[in-house]
Amino acid sequence: MLLNKDKWPEFVGRLAGKKLLAPQSGGDAVRFAPVSDGEVPMLDFKNTRVPPKQALFPQTETMYRFQLGTEEIELPQLDEETIWLGVRPCDARAMAIVEKLFRWDIDDPYYLKRRELTTLVGLACNEPGLNCFCPSVGGGPASTEGLDLLMIDLDDRYLLEAITPKGEALLDVTGDLLDEVKADAVKEKEKVVSAAEKKIKRTVDTEGVSAGLPGLWEDPLWRRVSAACLGCGTCTYLCPTCHCFDIQDETEGFEARRCRMWDSCMFEEYTVHTSGHNPRPTRRERTRNRINHKYSYYVDKFAVTACVGCGRCVNLCPVNIDIIEILRQVKEAL
Amino acid sequence: MNLGQLRKIAAEVVAREDVKYLIGWKQGSYGYRIAPGFVEDAAGAAELIFSPLCTANLATYLTLVEKLPVPRGQEADKRKVALMVKGCDSRAVTQLLVEKGIHRDEVVVIGCPCPGMVDPALLTEKYPETEETVEVKWSGDGFLLNRSGEEIKVPRDELLAEKCRLCRYPNPVISDILLGEAVEPWELAEDNGVAEVEGKDVGGRWDYWEEQFAKCVRCYSCRNVCPLCYCQDCILDRLNPTWVNRAVNFSENTSFHIARAFHLAGRCIGCGECERVCPVNIPLGRLNRKLAREVRDKYGFEPGVDPEAEPFQASFKPDDPGDFIL
Amino acid sequence: MSADYEPNIVAFLCNWCSYAGADLAGTSRVHYPANVQVIRVMCSGRVNPLYVMNALQQGADGVLVSGCHPGDCHYMEGNFRARRRLGMLKSLMEFVGVDPRRFHMSWVSASEGHKWKEVVEKTVEDAREAGPFEGFRRQQIDW
Repeated sequence: MLLNKDKWPEFVGRLAGKKLLAPQSGGDAVRFAPVSDGEVPMLDFKNTRVPPKQALFPQTETMYRFQLGTEEIELPQLDEETIWLGVRPCDARAMAIVEKLFRWDIDDPYYLKRRELTTLVGLACNEPGLNCFCPSVGGGPASTEGLDLLMIDLDDRYLLEAITPKGEALLDVTGDLLDEVKADAVKEKEKVVSAAEKKIKRTVDTEGVSAGLPGLWEDPLWRRVSAACLGCGTCTYLCPTCHCFDIQDETEGFEARRCRMWDSCMFEEYTVHTSGHNPRPTRRERTRNRINHKYSYYVDKFAVTACVGCGRCVNLCPVNIDIIEILRQVKEAL
Repeated sequence: MNLGQLRKIAAEVVAREDVKYLIGWKQGSYGYRIAPGFVEDAAGAAELIFSPLCTANLATYLTLVEKLPVPRGQEADKRKVALMVKGCDSRAVTQLLVEKGIHRDEVVVIGCPCPGMVDPALLTEKYPETEETVEVKWSGDGFLLNRSGEEIKVPRDELLAEKCRLCRYPNPVISDILLGEAVEPWELAEDNGVAEVEGKDVGGRWDYWEEQFAKCVRCYSCRNVCPLCYCQDCILDRLNPTWVNRAVNFSENTSFHIARAFHLAGRCIGCGECERVCPVNIPLGRLNRKLAREVRDKYGFEPGVDPEAEPFQASFKPDDPGDFIL
Repeated sequence: MSADYEPNIVAFLCNWCSYAGADLAGTSRVHYPANVQVIRVMCSGRVNPLYVMNALQQGADGVLVSGCHPGDCHYMEGNFRARRRLGMLKSLMEFVGVDPRRFHMSWVSASEGHKWKEVVEKTVEDAREAGPFEGFRRQQIDW
């Protein structure tokens, strides 16, 4: 369906009643924030600093609360329906990739319940960022995977494509604002998408990487690429597919809660044993693990790379550890 | 500075038998990026550069290196690490010596007098980053950008990093080898960032920092990049007792940031790395600079200047100010 | 702020002077506000800034650290160190926007039961004026 851009405020108004989040520039970096009533989010951004993975996988999530000394637990009430507007296709694709893990041996109730309650409205990228490399890892600027509804910016109007029943429901609510798609819009869409694809400058050939990585276990390249690593969590916390978490109990008096929070394999304490032994004693092993997890272990298990090429880790690494560069070096070493 | 001279001296240093490797700056993978370079041979030395983009403080790598147990029958590698430093970085080295975090025999300090660094954020805002490498140089009283052949001259004031506007030590305070000529210290700018916060009333300041700390994702990059945050067992990582909960919310974040800034009181040398690396742009430098000013004005102490000084928080004077005591 | 608001004060008292001073106030039947929860530490120099943060996070509206007078420290110099560190902490907290009336430091010797009363009255009065410190409470019991 087509939405004329002057009807955009009205379109957003129709979504009221559910919790609405959209990217907003708060002075400096763009981030997702709740949209208050009457506010109209402007979708003129490249991408948010922190990915919207928190929509389904909050940084700190209470799993249940309990009272010390009793055996009863209280589960959270997850019932708020939420719409995330302006999710980039790479970030949505990441959520679909991570969902495979949360559905793997047991169905994770928190993640899946949130997915059920959340409608992801995507916005295709017309102006990819400098470090975007989604086509190299199986995505694209207008990929629909993981989304409920995709919007494509056609200059003066949006082309809306429903991908799931949840997306169709949104189109039903706003049906009177929309026009039928005509052939010219389809043509325009193809033009816009292929133009966006051409704007992606950085590419990396990942063929053979997943099969070859185990053979590079002791390769000197790991020392080289990790020498500058600070061991901070920027790359993993800002990665839309990184999904490691830690579970901890927090108490206050007799009140307690068990919560899970993001953890990062780049932290020293991530693997440290109670004895003090650390099977990944240096940043070399940790960096190797990060790359192997994304490009080898995850591929073996779920047949998909746990990297969507959003470029955040490249953009924001304080010491220019560039995952594209690492992959190139891996290819050379194969 | 002459790059040829830098590379020649670096090659000489890494060729020395008592030097393990040299840490310097090299061209990053694209655009304006600079990466820390770990040089072990002459070929590596030929990649080194020193430009207005070399903001990173490499002194942090002196304490970041993991000290693994030496296997039985092997000798520990006692060779020195050579380190390239700017003025601010050399103060970090000095402060590490004060705190006995490193020993003077363990390092070869190669000093680079620094005419002032470019603020990467200001630079990308005015001249968007490209995938091609962009060369930036000092040129007279300004910076010279070379963007794919096109030369752009930018006045110094437009791009100078905040930490450099407030820098009083552009020349290394400690060095074994000094590259090039010492530069003339420049006139200090007003610290507008701290003044902006101080200008608010108590409630306004709380609101300001609430907005800032609420953004924090607790990636700990500010702590890890800091050359003076090198505790093996950081109190903020402790679980038993848990002083700061792992939960990420405003309350814990505030506690984290107050503790982090406090631990740097009288130790922070103002290299501005914490602020540069923050992925969500929290102005951490303001906290540090506020404390640094307090330490200087009230206690007459300046960290990282005198290697023989006593550490600020581990010493006292009988006449320290006590006007706040009831 | 409700009219019957009573501030919670956490006081870290050194074992050798201030704790004994507070004890003396008790045995001398000196009346002072009951809002103070005392935590005994061996020396004011032992008070870590995270103690203060944790107290404020867990329900305190004001914090008091009290030790021996300068020169009287049982450990010779612990209170001098405390003065330097907590002075910095006070400036930092003020800069972050914590009302300066919420954090006090005092010297109370073992014989100063009356000074203890004055210090507590001042601390409680200040915390009362500053009001409840809800903004900084630990949010862990929320979902």
